[in-house]
Amino acid sequence: MQTHRVDRDLRAKIGMGLLGLAVVALLIGLFYHQIILHNDYEVQSESNRIRVQPIIPKRGVIYDRHYNIIADNMLSFTVSVVPFEVKKDITYKKLGELLGMDPAAVQKKAKANFASEFIPSPIKRGLGIEEVSLLEEQGDAYPGITYSVESVRRYPVDASVESFIGYIGEVSPEEIAADPDKGYRPGMLVGKKGIEKAYDQLLRGIEGTNYIEVSARGKIIGPYRGKDRVAPVPGADLNLAIDLDLQRFIVENFDTNRCCGAVVAMDPRNGEILALVSFPGMDPNIFSRPIPTELWQGIIGDSLHPLMNRPIAALYTPGSTAKLLTAGAALEAGKITENTYLRPCYGGMQFGNRFFRCWEERGHGRLNMLHAIEHSCNVYFYQVGQMLGVDTWHDYATKCGFGRKTGLEIVGEFDGIAPSSAYLDRLYGKKRWSPLLAINIAIGQGEFSVTPLQLTQFYCGLANNGLVYKPHLLREIRHPDGSVVRVAPQLSFKLPFSQPTLAKLNEALKLVVQGEGGTARGRRQKEYDISGKTGTAQNPHGNDHAWFVAFAPSEDPRICVTAIVENGGHGSEAAAPIVGKIIHHFLINNVPQFAHLKKEVASTRP
Amino acid sequence: MIALRHINLRLVAAALFLSLLGVMLIYSARYDAISGTSSTHFARQFLWLLMALGLFYAFINTPLRLIDFSAYPLLGFSIILLIVVLFFGYSKTGAARALALGPLNLTPSDVGKIAVLIALSRFLAYTKRPPESIWRLAISGLLVGIPAIFVMRQPDLGSSLVFVALLFSMWYWSGLNPLYLILIISPLVSLLAAFHWVTWVIYLTLLVLFLLFLRPGLLFGIVTVVANLAFGIITPFFWNSLAEYQKLRILIFLDPGRDPNKAGYQIIQSKIAVGSGGIIGKGYLGGSQSQLEFLPERHTDFIFSVLAEEFGFIGAMVVVGVFAYIVYKGINIALRCRSKFTSNLAWGATTIIFFQFFINIGMTFGLTPVTGVPLPFLSYGGTSLIFFWSLIGLLVLADYYWTEY
Repeated sequence: MQTHRVDRDLRAKIGMGLLGLAVVALLIGLFYHQIILHNDYEVQSESNRIRVQPIIPKRGVIYDRHYNIIADNMLSFTVSVVPFEVKKDITYKKLGELLGMDPAAVQKKAKANFASEFIPSPIKRGLGIEEVSLLEEQGDAYPGITYSVESVRRYPVDASVESFIGYIGEVSPEEIAADPDKGYRPGMLVGKKGIEKAYDQLLRGIEGTNYIEVSARGKIIGPYRGKDRVAPVPGADLNLAIDLDLQRFIVENFDTNRCCGAVVAMDPRNGEILALVSFPGMDPNIFSRPIPTELWQGIIGDSLHPLMNRPIAALYTPGSTAKLLTAGAALEAGKITENTYLRPCYGGMQFGNRFFRCWEERGHGRLNMLHAIEHSCNVYFYQVGQMLGVDTWHDYATKCGFGRKTGLEIVGEFDGIAPSSAYLDRLYGKKRWSPLLAINIAIGQGEFSVTPLQLTQFYCGLANNGLVYKPHLLREIRHPDGSVVRVAPQLSFKLPFSQPTLAKLNEALKLVVQGEGGTARGRRQKEYDISGKTGTAQNPHGNDHAWFVAFAPSEDPRICVTAIVENGGHGSEAAAPIVGKIIHHFLINNVPQFAHLKKEVASTRP
Repeated sequence: MIALRHINLRLVAAALFLSLLGVMLIYSARYDAISGTSSTHFARQFLWLLMALGLFYAFINTPLRLIDFSAYPLLGFSIILLIVVLFFGYSKTGAARALALGPLNLTPSDVGKIAVLIALSRFLAYTKRPPESIWRLAISGLLVGIPAIFVMRQPDLGSSLVFVALLFSMWYWSGLNPLYLILIISPLVSLLAAFHWVTWVIYLTLLVLFLLFLRPGLLFGIVTVVANLAFGIITPFFWNSLAEYQKLRILIFLDPGRDPNKAGYQIIQSKIAVGSGGIIGKGYLGGSQSQLEFLPERHTDFIFSVLAEEFGFIGAMVVVGVFAYIVYKGINIALRCRSKFTSNLAWGATTIIFFQFFINIGMTFGLTPVTGVPLPFLSYGGTSLIFFWSLIGLLVLADYYWTEY
């Protein structure tokens, strides 16, 4: 028995030892986690329960130059169900009635968007105030239904504004990866095109932050007291140079039988874009909500390419409108004077083994430079082109802004092509092309291609004493703090023409409208002179494209307008009339001197 | 009849302290910060505590002889309950562990534990065979094994482990050479070693050397070797026979980060609760992990995490200290008892409390595996509370009757 006692003592001691070890192990473990690792766990505990909710600031409103709204924000309501509060028999039935949906479809939608018992599951977006006020009034009749307010971008005026305003959409993962500093957050709405993209950071403002305490199941407990809400900074409002009235006038007057085309109106004195129209246009409002796949496929597959921004991203041969460039270059290079008579036009001319036609089959006869422009004689300019040679021509063309972007704020602008011998070597192989190509290029055909904006810019230079201001859409930034930043006109470049050369070119441009044989004499106005040039761009795929570019009044140009009507045929027929109307509309509305003409026009209407 | 002054009041006070703290923590664990109220769990636990105290009082007035004699019938009854629960068990989480008897969710595994404790105490006290006798080991093994297997079938790995720990501890206390315990555990080691044949061969060589050194009986030696070979060979089958969640639990015990959203979620959230408590804690009802429902099973198995979050290291230390005190007392009582049966009872009761408190607290920060063992006195559950108060009753009885019986 004695040995038994001793044995038990030892065993009990070992037991005590084990107890001691266990207690020490537990205390060390607790010490390690609660004291040494405390800070790490503290952080994890905080992040566990605090949901960071962005407060989305008001996106800046975009106005035209007269404070007409081009883009603003509208409230849109999203109806959701809170799964936890749903009463199966009533909720889906009542909601189905309200939304005109099948109750089963409502239930399916609720299930598809389920995130948590307490997080509202969206059923339908974009509801109007009427449906929501019904919910508001009879809240008890709709158990478990809630709605949230969202801001939706709205473009209230249907005037083909999409071409410059663009649209907004959810930021893509690629955009986030490309610009980590821009403060993008997945799901954020950002500008995708046009002004919305170019000035996105200004328009977007700075998101604020709400810290909300939530339970593990997503139930919102309330605002988190440990961290203050960060208020959002609203976006800046923008004031564009665009004249919405003019823009709308252009859209209304563009011949709808002609499917496609572009119009650019610019103030030659400062480079402000007054109107930028692309036909056919798009309604940017459709991008403000998720686009149904069929609709998107329809837009993408449309043979008229409604998403193409024609004023800056479509390349056309400039046709005869390029003759001013060729003439200027030849005058400047001393190849001709305004009184140089070249070989007469008999409806065409033989160069080497090829006969180059003039558009006038009967021929223009003997012409000097001024009248060659007035009549738009090809034969004259074939000869000028031959005298210049492609590289001299290219040199002047580049200095006149062709073959490179104008630097308009919005993305997607094309360079265009002002061919040089190096370019032709690349295109056809070294010395594998005929020098006669220069002849064709000189009258604005062949390899020469421009965007309507480039051409406008060039004519603005002619109108403005050779000074070309950078085309721009933005006039003013109105910051939320009340400060206003005016965008100063920026001189882009000077045309490589001397004052006498510019004077001669202007004289010729005036003859096009005012002259007896001017190709655009139909546009003549009593009260003011218009300078302009018609053009016909050869189109290997169908009817020729019609150009007309003009500015007025000739002595003190206030507006320069370019129009291209695809497949319109001759510039004088398809493009010149609308440009004339545009100029007239602008002048009577914006230049006090011509304001009196307004009434006469009004009174002559039946 | 024990007079109040003869009751070991310190022991009772310690258990009462833990039980009341438990009620308080359950209130906090089920507290809803929005409505500012708690569910009825804490009130129910308080009622259970009153009932447990009543039963405790009745228990300490039961003659030890009656307890001794009723050992095997009680065991039989508990086995029947364990079989019944397999068929009629009430299940919340996929494991049927409770029988719904009116308001009480009776967990037969707790009844089984106390029945096995008494039966084992009796058998090991009265058998004439030496501690290393294979028959003594085998029969005591059966006494524990039969109920343990039914518990395992529920499945309740944690309670099964309590049975195994109890058996080993009782063998040890009744005189088994600890080296034999190594031999008895050896097949399990073989199981692990057999995951690769090289380790298995090395292990078997060591085992044979160990046997030659220890020289147990021939029969014992043969059984050990055969068991080792058998376990080693069935290793892959054993692994495949485990339920998915059991495998997961083992894997997650080894690496808690491997499945943060499912099974490992509990451990991670519990660690965050414990760790974010710091030295003095976030204050009563101030634990965000607990209040905001991030912590699963927070009023039952993870009640200690609530404590650690709200009362910090200091609170945790106090609770560990009180448990250590109870175990320390229990060992002393077992040591003092003159009768083997009473001593066994005290030792066994102490073992269960020790094992459960260590495994449960260790689990909250990843020291021990998550096995579903509740924390004695603190975790929510009527049967569990009554069971642990019965163990305190046994300790009080053994303490009072240390010279007798």
